[in-house]
Amino acid sequence: MKEEGMSRRRFLTGAAAVGAAAVAAPAILASCSGKEKLTPLKKEGEYYVPELPDKAIDGPELKVGLIGCGGRGSGAIINLLDAADNIKVVALGDVFEDRLNDVRNRLINERGQEVPQENCFIGFDAYKQVIDAGVDMVILTTPPVFRPEMFKYATEKGVHSFLEKPICVDAKGYRSVMATAKQAQAKGLSVVVGTQRHHERRYVEANKQIQAGLIGEITGGNVYWNQGMLWYRQREAGWTDMEWNIRDWVNWKWLSGDHIIEQHVHNIDVFLWMSGLKPVCATAFGSRQRRVTGDQYDFFSTDFTMENGIHMHSMCRQIDGCSSKVSEFIQGTKGSWDSETNEIKDLDGNVIWKFDEEAVRKEFQQFDPYTLEHVDWVNHIRKGTAHEEATDNAISCMAGIMGREAAYTGQTVTWDEMTQSPQDFLPEKLELGPLDLASMTVPVPGN
Amino acid sequence: MTTRKKYFLTALGGALFGIVLVLAALYTSNVTSTNESCGACHVHPEAETSWKQSKHFMNQSGVQTDCAACHLPPAGTPHYYWAKVKIGLHDIWMYLTHDKEDFDFESKRTEEYAPSIVFNSSCKKCHANLFPEGITDDGVAAHLYYEENEEKLGLQCVSCHLDAGHFIAGYKHEKMTTAPIDTTGPVYTEPASVTSFSNFTETIPGTRASINMIAVPGGKFTMGSKKGDKFSRPDEYPAHEVTVSPFFMAEVEVTWNQYWAFYVETMSEGRTKPEVIYANNSRPDVDAVSGPTPPFGMPDQGWGMGNRPAITMTHYAAETFCQWLSLKTGRHYRLPTEAEWEYAARGGTDTPYFFEGKPSSYSSEGLWNSIFGTDTTTINRYAIYALNSKNRTQEPSRVAANPFGLRNMLGNVMEYCQDWYAEDAYEKAGANTIDPKGPATGTDYVVRGGCYHDDASELRCAARRHSDYEAWLKTDPQNPKSIWWLSDMKGIGFRVVCDATINP
Repeated sequence: MKEEGMSRRRFLTGAAAVGAAAVAAPAILASCSGKEKLTPLKKEGEYYVPELPDKAIDGPELKVGLIGCGGRGSGAIINLLDAADNIKVVALGDVFEDRLNDVRNRLINERGQEVPQENCFIGFDAYKQVIDAGVDMVILTTPPVFRPEMFKYATEKGVHSFLEKPICVDAKGYRSVMATAKQAQAKGLSVVVGTQRHHERRYVEANKQIQAGLIGEITGGNVYWNQGMLWYRQREAGWTDMEWNIRDWVNWKWLSGDHIIEQHVHNIDVFLWMSGLKPVCATAFGSRQRRVTGDQYDFFSTDFTMENGIHMHSMCRQIDGCSSKVSEFIQGTKGSWDSETNEIKDLDGNVIWKFDEEAVRKEFQQFDPYTLEHVDWVNHIRKGTAHEEATDNAISCMAGIMGREAAYTGQTVTWDEMTQSPQDFLPEKLELGPLDLASMTVPVPGN
Repeated sequence: MTTRKKYFLTALGGALFGIVLVLAALYTSNVTSTNESCGACHVHPEAETSWKQSKHFMNQSGVQTDCAACHLPPAGTPHYYWAKVKIGLHDIWMYLTHDKEDFDFESKRTEEYAPSIVFNSSCKKCHANLFPEGITDDGVAAHLYYEENEEKLGLQCVSCHLDAGHFIAGYKHEKMTTAPIDTTGPVYTEPASVTSFSNFTETIPGTRASINMIAVPGGKFTMGSKKGDKFSRPDEYPAHEVTVSPFFMAEVEVTWNQYWAFYVETMSEGRTKPEVIYANNSRPDVDAVSGPTPPFGMPDQGWGMGNRPAITMTHYAAETFCQWLSLKTGRHYRLPTEAEWEYAARGGTDTPYFFEGKPSSYSSEGLWNSIFGTDTTTINRYAIYALNSKNRTQEPSRVAANPFGLRNMLGNVMEYCQDWYAEDAYEKAGANTIDPKGPATGTDYVVRGGCYHDDASELRCAARRHSDYEAWLKTDPQNPKSIWWLSDMKGIGFRVVCDATINP
């Protein structure tokens, strides 16, 4: 693995260790400073490291469909077109015609691709029509409660999926995704999830250092997504309950899973990814103070006990006028990593590694992880090397579900209990009509 | 001939011999792994007919799965050849020394026995994908549970798919929809009137169920075993004097007829926490009890309902039944204390069993008895246990009563007591205690009396055991696990007692 050795050298700054040590691997660095040799958490080859060229390899034309033409959907389809050549958008689906037309027009104006009108499908069944329209690959960017069913259908039809995160928001959705993921593996499909940190150069390189043992055994972590208020839509005249809910979906728990999953799953996922651990139970606080619409909370604070007994703390907040922080911190027996600074420090606070963006920029131009995740997806499809990220992400989503339920109920929630729960948020009847809004109340924990 | 030539010819001859030997061995291995070869010894027709009705023969694809695919480890592995030798010798021995009539096919297809003759590695070799297309949500939930707990709980495929290879009529892996309640006889309107301390029949108002109650006189007895008593265990020491007040005790273990009468009146679906249900049921102002959720499959295991004991019961189910029965009759029904249970089981005797005979002559443990068989004449009259049960519960009428008039105190099914179990409970008991109730707290409950698949040594009046919920619910994928039905313990039921208060 000559290339990896090279890149490792580039990232190594090691302020204290100049000269010969500076161009050596961290293992040697550690031994030079008189410390014991590093013990890797996982050896190279035992964990996934994406190849991240600036652009996907060339290959025969791939036909793609997009289901969910909102902000993320229109972003994702453009990211894909940036990531690879010879991609043809052949079908679009959404429940709202105006959103679909926005994407269709954007594709015409910005990329010169006109999706034929007969392949533009409106409605809750549009996903089936898109997947059946002769696509090789499909981007699923609807509100997440719909993801498991769509992923299942795409996999049944042998279509490669890009699943925007989160990929499930309730227990039944979790189980569905876990089963579909196995089927996707069996069919050799490539499934990439929109937790783009897995394709972000600074995270990928930090993970290599952590797996090489630079921070020692992982003993705990803290993850954050604290930001200002998210967008919302007030109800407009003529909208049905369902239309309002979906247009305002990030504020309704049945659609988004609440922001501990919808947004904060990114950070929870980083800890699960790098530690390789699942949570066994969660205890949490949360509350609603400022939100205008919907039935969600504004903040959560969750203590996760992991399967080996260590703890991970997660916090997320969407309130204006509070300090912001979106990052992950992992503590180990020999040091810690912080994604805020992209540094690894030893136990004395000395920086022993830092992601050297300048050096990497000399080799790569493409740094946008939203584009790079599509590069990786297309490469796996074109090379025929199956790749499946849904299993790991479903577990991260389940962690978020545990945190949410723990906060909503005030009870400690276990992995065993939640993974087997009958919880199912998907309404039986999907149509733009009335919903039982009176039952959608903000949860109140305790008695 | 030169030495070298001799050498080469010998080597060549040896190699040829070796090849012939290997081919012969492979040939033998192959022909002895065919269905026909298995059938040469396995002459019981149930094996073939039930296989042909099972999913491993009768399926949409028309593929058949042969005997050796399940009953041997994956072909070609060292385990495979070793198992072939071992099982082959065993089967030939059984074929030569036993009659076809001795063979109890039904008892081989139980969750307890089947895993010993089905190789899980072979199941998983063909069924590599536990999440095939079309699997239901319940299926996914169960298989995720299996993957996460396979090693921890020793789960096997046949733990849940017992009928995969051989069809079992009535074996269902779904929620029971209607209770098989007895509809013969009159519906009682009044509870029994009890005017003296003597045997009576409790009639449960609003149901067709009744319970024969035996008046057990109070008295003093020696509880436990002495060190050195054959098969006794440390938790039975020291033997100590206990005085028990009079009480009524059911003649037999609670029957399915009695349990279904309770079930149809109280069945409730939902996941209310047991503490909450119990607290609600205990309130003096309530006039109805919340009872069991529907079981998965038929909980009688296809052995028959009626007067056979209600099995796969949790302690919680037993206690709730007592709450309901008390509410229906106005009398205080409950589970026996451990002291009451042993006193009743002994029926005034102080021998290991209430009938004649020693554990060492009835037990199959020990080399001598295991080879030459055991004496069964007396025990056979009084108890259902490993040697006469055909691996299932039996009707109470099969056995004679003990001196108090109680049946099946020993054997058939284990019975819950109300006491918490503690290994050192007897050490902490004082001398000549009156109506002791056991430790104040604990994690498992005392169970007594042994069951249909136990050795005679477990049936001793003094033998103590306890509940074990993790093991008894290991294949229940629900979380929280059922508080009513045990998925993995069939030999447990309960018997009710009633305080000896008499109607004015």
